[in-house]
Formats: sequence, structure tokens, C-alpha cells
Amino acid sequence: MTPIVAARALHREYRLQGDRIHAVRGVTLDVAPADFLAIVGPSGSGKSTLLHLLGAVDAPTSGSVRIAGSEVAGLGERERARLRLRRVGLVFQRFHLLPMLTAVENVEVPMAEARVPRRERRERAEALLERVGLGDRLRHRPGELSGGQRQRVAIARALANRPPLLLADEPTGELDRATGRAMLELFRAIREDGTALVVATHDPQLAEGAGRVVRMVDGRLET
Amino acid sequence: MLIFRYAARELLRHPARSLFAVAGVAVACAMLLDMLMLSSGLGTSFRSLLSGAGYALRVAPGGTLPFDTEATIPDAMRVRRALEADPRVAGVAPVLGGNLLEGRAAERRVFALGIDPGEQGLFRLVEGSVPAGPDELVIGQALREEGIRPGDTLWLAPGGGLGPVAGASPRPFRVAGTGTFFYASAGERSLALRIETAEALTGRTDRASLMMVRLEPGAEPTEVAPALRAAFPSLEVASVAELVDRAQRRLSYFRQLALILGTVSLVVTTLLIGTIMAVSISDRYGTIAALRAIGVSRSSILSALAVESLLLCLAAAVVGLALGLVTAGWLETILSDFPGLPAAIRFFVLEPRQLAIACAALLAAGIGSALVPAWRVTRLPIAGTLHREEP
Repeated sequence: MTPIVAARALHREYRLQGDRIHAVRGVTLDVAPADFLAIVGPSGSGKSTLLHLLGAVDAPTSGSVRIAGSEVAGLGERERARLRLRRVGLVFQRFHLLPMLTAVENVEVPMAEARVPRRERRERAEALLERVGLGDRLRHRPGELSGGQRQRVAIARALANRPPLLLADEPTGELDRATGRAMLELFRAIREDGTALVVATHDPQLAEGAGRVVRMVDGRLET
Repeated sequence: MLIFRYAARELLRHPARSLFAVAGVAVACAMLLDMLMLSSGLGTSFRSLLSGAGYALRVAPGGTLPFDTEATIPDAMRVRRALEADPRVAGVAPVLGGNLLEGRAAERRVFALGIDPGEQGLFRLVEGSVPAGPDELVIGQALREEGIRPGDTLWLAPGGGLGPVAGASPRPFRVAGTGTFFYASAGERSLALRIETAEALTGRTDRASLMMVRLEPGAEPTEVAPALRAAFPSLEVASVAELVDRAQRRLSYFRQLALILGTVSLVVTTLLIGTIMAVSISDRYGTIAALRAIGVSRSSILSALAVESLLLCLAAAVVGLALGLVTAGWLETILSDFPGLPAAIRFFVLEPRQLAIACAALLAAGIGSALVPAWRVTRLPIAGTLHREEP
């Protein structure tokens, strides 16, 4: 089966206050459609950096990443943005919703960028929020929602353009245990719909629920 | 539409900050509008004043402008006839101006204009009639405001320089009408009487301070003026456009002042909007990086931030234009007492072009200054910014 993401010999170095940081060292990884992969490891081990490389948010110092058949290294900034818009859904620990837009409007943002007609995007946004259990919170703003509800809005936003790949960076990091369990159930449901999931997490509950777990230490993968 | 909703709500999220920005830019906008109105207002108003009565050319004594000095044109009747002989000339209105003393005891000064009642462009009759006989006159606004009405008697005597002319006692004149004198300065006691009466009272026979020349339809002032200049080399012949040009050169410091203050207001707008937007954007580094991470393009983010700035500027423009018109009216009342200028002259004249320039300059300055921090935030590395923003 063709992987949705194929990473080969990825390295990522950057400078921080004059020091050279080698955040990712020679990572090779495939993510198949409907895969549910958890990347675990201590803080500073390079999980978030790897996630950004897999989602074309960042460019590797060396190595290659193919997302849905497209080689990321050959793409310009605009093409990479378009690839992320249509092929990758991203969920952040701090949600990063637009505080002055309602839940349904936040979900509409990626669809508006993708030029989805207004009526269609409203219908899809409402359906997605129904699916993540927020059908009764469509017109609420992020400030009027709990942490778990905000993360559900962020997940709905990530799924807005029906991407084959969903990347989540510490999605339960700011949630209590019960809400984290509910989030795991939601991820499983998303996976059952054929979307591949890669989650960087410290949360053992979330890692245990994933289909595959890889451990990252000092920028390297331990399988 | 989502972009406008986002921008509007983002501004409403920080009402105090937005309100201060709008107030600051509105003041700058008002100043810009006032300075634009001032920069061309005098010229526009002066042109309208000079051409209002339909006289396209002015003939004055050589080396002077109308009423700049007390010099007069000698052989006025001969000059008038010679001017009228030109087929392009439709009419000539001679004017003899000078100070007289008014009152039985010749106690106060008035400015008298000797005119030909059948051919004059100095006043518009408001009530009564033009002076039909040598003992009649028309008074201006200042004398009318003192309660003088048609049918009343005014006593006039030669003089008005340092005092009455020795041996000349005041004689009575009947007020035939009242009029609006186009060139009277604020509070100036103006009156008009027949030119032969003015000649007798001022002792300047067959002289004129000025001749106003009306052209036949189709005759171009730019063609007739040089021809008359050649025919009367000892006289000054000027078209309305030339007079406006000379007046504007004399008052060029108004335009320089307007240019400097207008530029200052644009700089203030640029700094204010730039600072407000920079602060607002720096609060949103994480969110903007996240938006870029999910695939929102740089151009969309730039557009959204530009729309925010546009909305700020539009709100400020509405308030600023109203404020500008109010302050222009207030400044106009102060400057209307400017010595030596006709009261009908307006310093601040609003024209659609000025309005358009003020709005365009304000929006360009506002949006341009917002684009600098907006451009910078879209250039930040996404992953690095997210690393800093996430715990």
C-alpha cells in the first residue's frame, strides 16, 4: 500500500542562541492510510520537529518527505501551503482558534482559503462540528467553550478540507484525563473513516490507544 | 466576507485600543483635509470672485495691480474709448477708488468707488437702485449694518488720508440702494457713486484706478490680453488667470504651510497605524503561525491585516472629514479678518478632488504602514514561531 507520508533519512538542525541543535537525526518513517501512529518520548526529543517535517510545516536540513505522492523538497512556499491546506490537518496543543470567530466560522477558515462555496462550507462546518459532538455549540466563540470543546473545534477545523493525514501535537496536553479519553475515541473514529493519524504525545493513555507507537530519543526513532 | 468579519471583530476585541487609533487618525485626517482645502482654497475662491461678474481682464496703472497703490490711469475716457474700439471687447467698466470722509462733521472714513452705473462689476444690488444722479450712492454691507437704508442721507467730504481737505465741507447724498460689494474687506465701509462724482470729490479728473474689461463671447482672454498690452504699453493688463497666479505667488507661504502640515499629518497617520498594527500583530504571532501551518497563504493573511487597517482608516476618515469641515469653518472665521483681503475670499474651499486626495492619502498611508508589520509576520518561520508559542 502506498504510504500517505514517506520520510527518508530526515535530519533537522537549527541554531538556538548560537548553539547548533540537531533536533531530528536520520529518521525514516512511513505512515499508511488509516494508520494511527503515536510518537512518544521525553520533552526536547524532537517529536514536534518531526511532526512539523511530516506535515510540510518545516523543511528538513537533509532527507526527503513525500506527502500523498508529492515530494515536499521540490515545492515552493505557495505550493507547500496549498499541500498543507488540502492534504494535511493540523491540531495544536493550544488549539490556536481565532477567538473572535464562532466555532462554525473557525471550521470554515480552511475551506474559505480553499475557495469552497459559502453555503457548502457552512454545511460542511456544521456537519463536522456535529460529528465531534459540538452540534449545540456552533455559534459559541472559543472563549465560551471548555478546553476539550476547543480541541474538538480545532479537530473539526483540521478535517475541514477532508485531508488524508491528521497531525496532532500534544492534543491532550491541556485536557483532563476524562476529556483526553474522549479525544482518543474521537481519533479512533476519524481513523476508521480512512484518515491517517500521527500524534506526538506524552499522554500514555493516548499512546496506548494508538495502533502503532514509536519512541523518539535525542532526535532518533526507537521502534 | 469571512476576512471582513474577522478584521472587524478583531478590532472590536480591543475597543479601547481601536478607539484611540481611530481618534488619533481622525485628528490627522482632519488636519490633512484642512491643509488640502487651504492649499488651493485661496486660488479657487479668488478665481471665482474675479470671474464672477463676467469681466475677464483688468487694466491698471503701469507696474501695479488693481488697488495696490493709489496710482491712477490718466486720460481715462480716451483709454476707455480705445478699449471699447476693439471688436473683441464687449464693455469696459471704469473704477475710481478713494477714501472719503462721512458725517456732518466729516468724522469717519469710508471707501468710495466711482463707477459707471450702466457698466460695473463691483457690487450686486440688494435693494433700491443704482445711483441715477450725481447726488446718489449705493452703500455696502458694513454701512447697512449700521442702520442706513435707501432714502437716508449721507454726508461726504473729500479727505480720508490724514484728515479733511482744507475748506471742503461735507455735502449730502441720497442712498439710492444697498448692495453686496464683492471686493470689500471685513467691516470696510464701502459705497459706490457715479464716477464723475468721485472725480469731483477726490479731485482726480479723467482718471481711473482700474478698468474692468468684458469680452465678447468666444474671445479668449489669453489672446486679447497680449494685444491690449501691446496697444497700451504704459498700462498693466492682466487676465483673471494671471491675477490669480500673482495672488497665489504672494500667498505662497500658505501653500507651503499647508504642504508641511499635510505631510506631518500623513506621517502621524503612518506611525499611529503602524504602531497599533504592530502591537496587535505581535499579540497574534502564534495564531498567525498556526493559520499559516494549516495552509492559509501569506497573501490571505496580508489581506486580512490590510482589511483591519482599512476599517480603522475608514472609521477615522468619516470622523476626520467631519472634524476637518468643522475646524475649517472655525479657522475661516478667524482668517476672514485678514487685512486687505476681500471678505468674500475663502481660505478653505472644499472640492471633490481634495476630498478624494485626503481619503486616498489617508488610506494609502494607513494600509501601507500596516503592511510592514504584516509582511514581517508572514515571513517568520512557522515551525520556530509555533515552538516559541507552544509550551
